Amino acid sequence: MTEKELQHLADLSALSLSEAEMAALGGDLERILGYVRQLDELDTTDVEPTFQVYEMENIWRPDEIVAFEADREELLALAPESKDNQIKVPKVL
Amino acid sequence: MSSVIKVASEKVSAVELVAAALEKAKKFAEYNVFTSLNEKAALAKAAEIDKKIARGEKAGRLAGVPYALKDNFSSREGKTTASAKMLENYRAPITATAVKKLEDEGAIMIGRTNLDAFAHGGSTENSYFGATANAHDKTRVAGGSSGGSATAVALDIVPFALGTDTGGSIRQPASFNGVYGMKPTFGAVSRYGVVAMASSTDTIGVLAQTAEDTQMLMGLLAGKDEKDTTTLDDFLAAAKSEKLKIGVISDFMGEGVDDEVAKLTKDYIEKLKKAGHQVSEVKMPILKYALAVYYVVVPAEVASNLSRYDGIRYGFRAKDAKTLGEIYSKSRDEGLMPENKRRILIGNFVLSSGFFDAYYLKAQKVRTLIIKAYNEMFAKYDVLVCPVAPTPAFKIGENTSDALKMYLGDIMTVPPSLAGLPALSVPAGKTASGLPIGVQLIGARRSDAILMGLAAEIEGLK
Amino acid sequence: MSENMAKDMHKNMYADMYEMTVGIECHVQLATKTKLFSAVDNDARGKEPNACVSPVDYALPGMLPMLNSQAVVLAVRMGEALGAKINPRSHFDRKHYYYPDLPKGYQTTQFYAPIIGAGKVVLPNGHSVRVEHAHLEEDAGKLTHFGDYSLVDLNRAGTPLIEIVSQPDIHSAEDARLYAEELWRLATYAGVSFGDLYHGNMRFDVNISVAEKGAAKLGTRVEVKNLNSFRSVERAASFEFERQAGLLAAGRGAEIRQETRGWSDATGKTTTQRSKEEAQDYRYMPDPDVPPLNLSAEFIAGILAEMPKLPAAYRAAFAGAGIAAETVEIILGHQILAVRLLEVLELDAKLAVKVANLFTGTLLAEENAGLDLSVASGERLAELAQMNEGGELSSTATKQVLVELYDTKNSEKSAKILAKEMNLLQENDDEALEKIILGVLDDPAAASAVADVRAGEMKAVGFLIGLIMKNSGGKANPARARELLLKKLG
Repeated sequence: MTEKELQHLADLSALSLSEAEMAALGGDLERILGYVRQLDELDTTDVEPTFQVYEMENIWRPDEIVAFEADREELLALAPESKDNQIKVPKVL
Repeated sequence: MSSVIKVASEKVSAVELVAAALEKAKKFAEYNVFTSLNEKAALAKAAEIDKKIARGEKAGRLAGVPYALKDNFSSREGKTTASAKMLENYRAPITATAVKKLEDEGAIMIGRTNLDAFAHGGSTENSYFGATANAHDKTRVAGGSSGGSATAVALDIVPFALGTDTGGSIRQPASFNGVYGMKPTFGAVSRYGVVAMASSTDTIGVLAQTAEDTQMLMGLLAGKDEKDTTTLDDFLAAAKSEKLKIGVISDFMGEGVDDEVAKLTKDYIEKLKKAGHQVSEVKMPILKYALAVYYVVVPAEVASNLSRYDGIRYGFRAKDAKTLGEIYSKSRDEGLMPENKRRILIGNFVLSSGFFDAYYLKAQKVRTLIIKAYNEMFAKYDVLVCPVAPTPAFKIGENTSDALKMYLGDIMTVPPSLAGLPALSVPAGKTASGLPIGVQLIGARRSDAILMGLAAEIEGLK
Repeated sequence: MSENMAKDMHKNMYADMYEMTVGIECHVQLATKTKLFSAVDNDARGKEPNACVSPVDYALPGMLPMLNSQAVVLAVRMGEALGAKINPRSHFDRKHYYYPDLPKGYQTTQFYAPIIGAGKVVLPNGHSVRVEHAHLEEDAGKLTHFGDYSLVDLNRAGTPLIEIVSQPDIHSAEDARLYAEELWRLATYAGVSFGDLYHGNMRFDVNISVAEKGAAKLGTRVEVKNLNSFRSVERAASFEFERQAGLLAAGRGAEIRQETRGWSDATGKTTTQRSKEEAQDYRYMPDPDVPPLNLSAEFIAGILAEMPKLPAAYRAAFAGAGIAAETVEIILGHQILAVRLLEVLELDAKLAVKVANLFTGTLLAEENAGLDLSVASGERLAELAQMNEGGELSSTATKQVLVELYDTKNSEKSAKILAKEMNLLQENDDEALEKIILGVLDDPAAASAVADVRAGEMKAVGFLIGLIMKNSGGKANPARARELLLKKLG
């Protein structure tokens, strides 16, 4: 994996990695992904993927408002910064 | 052995039970079991329970029983840190369904237990708050990620603790500490309020001192929850006692397995035979691919589930972050542990355009093959048996420099997770140097009661 | 030559040489009580920021999605309205990107297996636009920008949307608008959306490329995002056509970049927002937390059995009754009027023509804006039209009664009772009418006109009728009055 590819991956992951971290994690990734390639030994033609292990379908709720445990005040109190009942962030460009 | 759970009554008060547990927790401080103790609230609750009992009111089936809570369960009591700097000061404004169910039965949480940050790991060494020591050897790991919960039960600080198991996080520390660890069928217990790791394999279970307690507690915890659409209706009826057909997974009994682990597993198998069960060896060659599948699928879901930790709405925000981009990247870089980052990077790699089919889709297809192999096996057998881990607890720091080697330790616990199967870690004696070993009983989906019933039966033979 | 004249000349030249190819993605907000994955209030109008936010919408650790069944029902209805196949099997996927208005760090959408398959929308002018697919997804929150900071309101985060993706079948700015309008009619008629454009209930992304007429290859595709009115869809398409055609004509085609542009209603221009080179990798992943959908034929049939009538059905019925096409299109702008008109039509087709004209000529006239269009039933409207038809009400009086019919305080009163109360019933009682006529004939002021008529000067009849009408207080039926008058004058 090139440094550029790893940096792209870090960007996708919203991580600002130090050079040391990049070096260490880059090596780990190569070895882990190399290990994973053993799956290529298996023929999976016509095999459906499994995304969920439960045999559930059409699980839904009625369109009715219910009360929740935490209200706006409790939720916004968790935000590092808030103002006028909204979450505050540096200006989005 | 029957239940060790002592319920508050006229003879023993809840305050006494809770105070004793807290005292032990402090006594064993050097094991680094807890991320925080819930002393004040726990004692106040205990006093409430005692009053209820004195008034002759119902106080619940776990009235006054102290328990330890893995620190990735939301509760309005204290902080829910997931042992990560990201959530170091996070006070959940909600309570997880599993916690609520225990509260409703009068159980009292005395403290939050340590884990690998966000449950990523198998040793509790990936905790922001440092490693938890093994109850039987302080120089060795507690296992993980529910390391704190396992050690708390093994040190008899509490009779049981809650844990989560995504790829072995209840079973492996249970094995390393010599306690029972139940990972139920996927969907048996509500995940609502539990910090998500991998949504398709996350399960909630218990670590306890006896099979009977495990069974009783799972019965209390299981059931449908409208806040978790993937929960199943309660199916944990008591198991019928009958002679079972048991298959020993020979693929996990040979090469790569510690001699003493193999020997103790065989001893346990002898007990199964003695009890009249029909035991034979089975081969499941597909299982050797399970770890590769796991380390594609789970990182993908981890990367996705950890996207919400962005320093915007709650949790850690880097002090020196000026721009929005810095809030994301610096908060995440400082707030997450290296293992979290490793998994996020792998996950985003296997999901990224150009690699999705070759890695993610391929792994999910092999997962189908694994499930198929299990289905074929469970058409012929009631229970499958193998060790929980290839080795007993290793030394603290022994595997931290090699991520892949650490992952290889999950080879036996990961397969049932990928298929959503119930699996129980049963204490099966100790090695010559005194380290406990667990044997894993694996069943078909919804056969949890059979596993716990079988463990109770063998436990009774001792 | 003035600047405008020059512009017009270019416009015509471009239109001869170049053709636009347009595809539209439309986001329709669903008329549900709660959000797509949380049972929290979905109607944030007039509420404070973050008032409609649950721990699920705030994406606290450990929160799980709970699918709203009504969103599935509305998706089935929307599919039917689009003439599309409902895919029995569909599932939800996670689309990952970081933005402060996206709490989970991913949007839950349907990328790999959408609920609505290919369909077709026929525009009022007969052109048709194929629908590629449509899918369910959740909306993001809202950001408001200030000096050096932005504020996040999550009221809209998690609101259910259906995104309708068209094929690039549109080749004029007018058709782009007609398509947008037709989607609005389909979504509102099917009860899928409230269609409140002011509150962003429908938003359009217009993809447009321009190439020489007959060219085998399409031009570079430009996306104009987030248009929230029909007119802006048309204007933006038109502006982009001229901009791109202008560049092509000047040999500067290379300057047309594949990019996302924003539209300003004020300036009437599009401007660059983001170039496609910065295209994101969304890492779509099937959402393990939302069980897939597998809709049975019975389930779908059950929803369709309750399906409201669509514009096409009204168009066919109204055309069959002989109502002018342009009148029909105006009426279709108000579903309730189409419903009422059909009620009238089912009673009497001839009356429906009258009612249709009353709707467009009077009810929808500017001076009557603000009336509750649902008040008058088809039966009451038919009665009113019948009174006009039968000569009981003059055209003017009919219009007056119509407006009163729509006053909620009169909702219990029939047209006849209202007409009586308003003293507008025409005198069809010959005896009473004759009395008035005799009075007019005796009136000295009418003497010369009477004489003229008798002498065969028929022009004077009008003057006499006018007097009769005046003396009857406007209630006389002029046709009948004429008959009787002429009889009297032999």
